[in-house]
Amino acid sequence: MEEFRFIDLETNNAFTNMAIDEAIMLSMKEGNSPPTLRLYRWKPSAVSIGTFQSMLDEVDVEFCKTNGIDTIRRITGGGAVFHDYEGEVTYSIIMPKGHRLAPPDILESYRLLCSSIVRALDRLGITAEFKPINDVNVGEKKISGNAMTRRHSCVLQHGTTLLDLDVTLMFSILKVPQEKISDKMISDAKERVTSIRDLLGREVSIDELRDVLKLGFSEALNINLVPGTLSPYEQRLASQLAREKYVSEDWNFSR
Amino acid sequence: MLSSAYKIPGGKLVKIKLWPDAERVERITILGDFFLHPEEVIVTIEESLVGTKIEINALVKVITDVLQQSEAKLIGASAEDIAEAIMIAWKSK
Repeated sequence: MEEFRFIDLETNNAFTNMAIDEAIMLSMKEGNSPPTLRLYRWKPSAVSIGTFQSMLDEVDVEFCKTNGIDTIRRITGGGAVFHDYEGEVTYSIIMPKGHRLAPPDILESYRLLCSSIVRALDRLGITAEFKPINDVNVGEKKISGNAMTRRHSCVLQHGTTLLDLDVTLMFSILKVPQEKISDKMISDAKERVTSIRDLLGREVSIDELRDVLKLGFSEALNINLVPGTLSPYEQRLASQLAREKYVSEDWNFSR
Repeated sequence: MLSSAYKIPGGKLVKIKLWPDAERVERITILGDFFLHPEEVIVTIEESLVGTKIEINALVKVITDVLQQSEAKLIGASAEDIAEAIMIAWKSK
């Protein structure tokens, strides 16, 4: 069975998390890194915006500063995501262009990689399905959002799977005029988004989600996950990217 | 500055910030939760739109030409959707 390096669930701040994803791509482009799956959490909790979004339009930056929530722009498109330290696990999967798991058709690519999330949720007893373009839904409700980029001769997809969801906090972070945060809006959001704990009605732990994600990727993609760590080269690249790019206002407020 | 937010039916959201000069684009920013590969092409699209008459066919042509020349793929939005969002911003004046 094909091998992927598996970097097991770790916790970093937003800048390091996004820098590691890009560092792996850069190193892989040079032939120095194997196909890789990472699982990670964000501490402090953070909001990431899509690469084409405007930070000031989408995020209440002042609220985030006051409440110790980091704000960051991703290299991938898509929408704003709240990465609650206690409420989600993020994955990223990175492989060279032309890899069996990176078909040229982008929708097909999303479908294939998102099947890992569907399988993971199935392991928890939740029936979910891929919802094009880039979501995994349970019924009509989104439980996982995903985003892909193709650059540095690689395909990278990262995504979140919701363990828990605080809709009121989410609306405080995202830029919605305060007067519009009505009970109706909150109940509408609860009709569109769900979480594992909502669905199962029990205290599913982060570790349990980590276990099924690992199984989901391995089974759905038919890959053998070999425990590994970042190489010293990747670590150096990641530190540099975190410091020079991801922490900078030039990047985060570029649009 | 004129702006718009256009929710593509069944799809993504395109937001426009438009600085017009008479009937032409002087400056534009295209925002949203769509996907574009490679991502950097968004800047080429924005720069190529400068000087374009704010009229749906002209806008679609410029965006389509850039996408073809750059071998870029828009996912979740089309050249027509972006042009439509620009027209909505223009009509809001």
